[in-house]
Amino acid sequence: MSTSAAVEALRPGSEGATPLLELRGISKEFPGVKALDGVSFAIYPGEVHMLLGENGAGKSSLMKVLCGAYRADAGEFYYKGEKVAINSTADAQKLGIAVIFQEFSLVPHLDIAQNIFLGREPKGRIPGTIDRRRILADAKRVLDMIGFDIDPAITVDKLGVAQQQMVEIAKAISQNARILVMDEPTAALSDRETELLFALIARLKADGVSIVYISHRMAEVFALGDRITVMRDGRRIDGVLPGDVTPDQLVRMMVGRNVDMTYPRNFAEKPGEVMLQVKGLASPTGIADIDIEVRRGEIVGLCGLVGSGRTEAARAIFGADPITGGEIIFDGKPISGGPDVASRRGIALIPESRKSEGLALLRSVGDNLVVSALRKLFPSGMFDPRVSQRTADELIRQLRIVTPSARQMVGLLSGGNQQKVVIGKWLAAGSRLFIFDEPTRGIDIGAKSEIFALIDRLVAEGAAALMISSEQIEICHVCDRAYVMREGRIAGHLSRNELTEENIVRLGMHHA
Amino acid sequence: MREAAVISQPNLLRRIPGVAIVLVALIALFGAIAPGFLSFANLSNVLVQSTILTMLALPMTLIIMTEGLDLSMGAVLTLTSLCVAIVSVATHSMLLGVGAAILVGAAFGLVNGWLVAIVGIPPFVATLGTLGMAQGLSLIVSDGQSVVGIPHSVRDIYSATFLGVPVPIVMALVTYAVFHGLLYHTRFGTYVFALGGNREALKYAGLSPGRLLIGVYAIGGIMAGIAGLLMTARMNSGHPTAGLGMEFDAIAAVAVGGTSFERGNGWLLGTLLGVIAVGILRNGLNLISMPSSVQVASVGVLVIVALFLDGLRSRS
Repeated sequence: MSTSAAVEALRPGSEGATPLLELRGISKEFPGVKALDGVSFAIYPGEVHMLLGENGAGKSSLMKVLCGAYRADAGEFYYKGEKVAINSTADAQKLGIAVIFQEFSLVPHLDIAQNIFLGREPKGRIPGTIDRRRILADAKRVLDMIGFDIDPAITVDKLGVAQQQMVEIAKAISQNARILVMDEPTAALSDRETELLFALIARLKADGVSIVYISHRMAEVFALGDRITVMRDGRRIDGVLPGDVTPDQLVRMMVGRNVDMTYPRNFAEKPGEVMLQVKGLASPTGIADIDIEVRRGEIVGLCGLVGSGRTEAARAIFGADPITGGEIIFDGKPISGGPDVASRRGIALIPESRKSEGLALLRSVGDNLVVSALRKLFPSGMFDPRVSQRTADELIRQLRIVTPSARQMVGLLSGGNQQKVVIGKWLAAGSRLFIFDEPTRGIDIGAKSEIFALIDRLVAEGAAALMISSEQIEICHVCDRAYVMREGRIAGHLSRNELTEENIVRLGMHHA
Repeated sequence: MREAAVISQPNLLRRIPGVAIVLVALIALFGAIAPGFLSFANLSNVLVQSTILTMLALPMTLIIMTEGLDLSMGAVLTLTSLCVAIVSVATHSMLLGVGAAILVGAAFGLVNGWLVAIVGIPPFVATLGTLGMAQGLSLIVSDGQSVVGIPHSVRDIYSATFLGVPVPIVMALVTYAVFHGLLYHTRFGTYVFALGGNREALKYAGLSPGRLLIGVYAIGGIMAGIAGLLMTARMNSGHPTAGLGMEFDAIAAVAVGGTSFERGNGWLLGTLLGVIAVGILRNGLNLISMPSSVQVASVGVLVIVALFLDGLRSRS
């Protein structure tokens, strides 16, 4: 691969040009994670710079450092060749850096003009008041500048996602932004809206505005990008020009190789009978036509990018979201109703945010273990602490949960042990199908192996698992097979021998 | 994944807010069954009696718009009403009385705001605490007794007229105008929308949500101080339970008026209509000789009916 210096030299029209903004050796560490590791990154005036990488590659962290939301632990910033500091969002704003986040920074019940000039309202004649006529005129001028024809007196809550995004861009432009950072701006847009956005980007570019564009869609990368930077594991892997690479090469750069853990898994020779059958499932959260089959003794992966509908599919199967189409057959019988029905029939959902959705952090390990099994353990409705204690102790032993006693507050356990408590909770309730949403999120490597060993034991003993994970390498090593989702639908199915990281990424991404 | 919404123009019927329907229904109902309800004297009486609630419900609207709540308002009103009574009895000065009441009210408002914005106590709990403090202070300063001998300068406020309009109504109208200007035409008002709608946006714009929030609660306290003057004038005494339950009516009026308890969606005119609806309901029930316990229950029903109507419209 060409070095970045070579790329800069290759770039038409950039010979000898100084970058508008240059980051050198930026590092940012969080407890246990190196989010950014010596990343260098340059943005030239009037270019669209695509930022590519898998989930967790460090794109978002880099963006937050750029806009001053995070402070870099190490590294330097140069603005037009001069050394500067970005320690706060105010610093970044002064340099003309604006970020269009996926969650908008708009106030729903203020109008477009008030949102654009929030905190910078033109003063009226009476102290404290706003010059209404001027704020509307100024807003109109900014909106015209980006070619957005709308009445600035309309409140933002009446706008669609695409229009809100335009208001965000107008807000950034009104602050004289010279560098616009967009995080997957087309994720929520229709094709037509996407075209409008691309036209706007072309116009901004012509005005000399630089755009850092984070995308997961290959078509966009090649249609818009003047330059591509690929990130992986908090590091900058390479900087290339779109003309020099193929989509496949980009995918390989994004995936890379870094295997340094063991995945305990004893694959069964022959899977058991069908346990879960999902046919044509749809829900208002945006998923549709979901067909999934899980057999006894299997671990089935559910992959795709963040936002592709994996969690939504899991929630719909568990009954946590309403279903607008299709059916779910569990153990040969159709299932419908809320999570209470699903859990009584033997389906467990182990959510991604175990602290907020899976555990009562301030209660004891024992309480958390029996909470889903109360109906089963105490059919009469009377609580018996001895039964509860016995059940909890048994589970602690069986799952090898490291805790001084069942009385320990669950919030004090390590991430891996907390996850075991969540699993134990469902075991106690007699669950047979375990749906895991990012089961190893926030768990250190050693504990990950243990969690996988536990899941392996569960399915060997006649249970089954559906596992969502953004760590493709985990899916490849642990799953019997996997479904890949894209934009709310199943994009493809990979059998055991097709299951590679590259295949997962390829199916999960958009292609030209 | 969200669907792209289009700007919709709902038909006229659906744009009529729940509070307007409730108001018309109440007037029709009591016009039919309560003797004398539609007389000019009675209707004017309803409006005069609604003025104290107006002065509480308007700032309560701002507080609720910030996703907050002020449960202490009724108890603080009791205390400020006693301040007006005690100070005006001692000094024979209406201005000193109301000045003391505003200071005490503002102090409570600042404490509420500080607890919510800086200490980070949930508004429900923080203002429940100050409710107890204000109620306790009221009992201490009044010794559990009514304060009587209110000077004319205070007493006459309630019955005086200005250009033929009762002074309390003039005060309420001025208050409404000030709040309208404040919420819709000042920077502060813009930021009130943002406090409930998107606090991050304020931070990103370089503003301090904490200080703004303290300001909002302080306004509530100041208004409780001004309302204390009307309360003392109306009762011609200071009474240690004068404002009991007023926070309930104020919150009810805001809710009936269509202000949302989430995402900073407030409507001042709706609150004003809500206040009048609560006033009409209590007045009408009085006329047909219903006990006050029924009145409290029916205000509760009113809230639920108005929100039900709003919910029906937003769903369809």
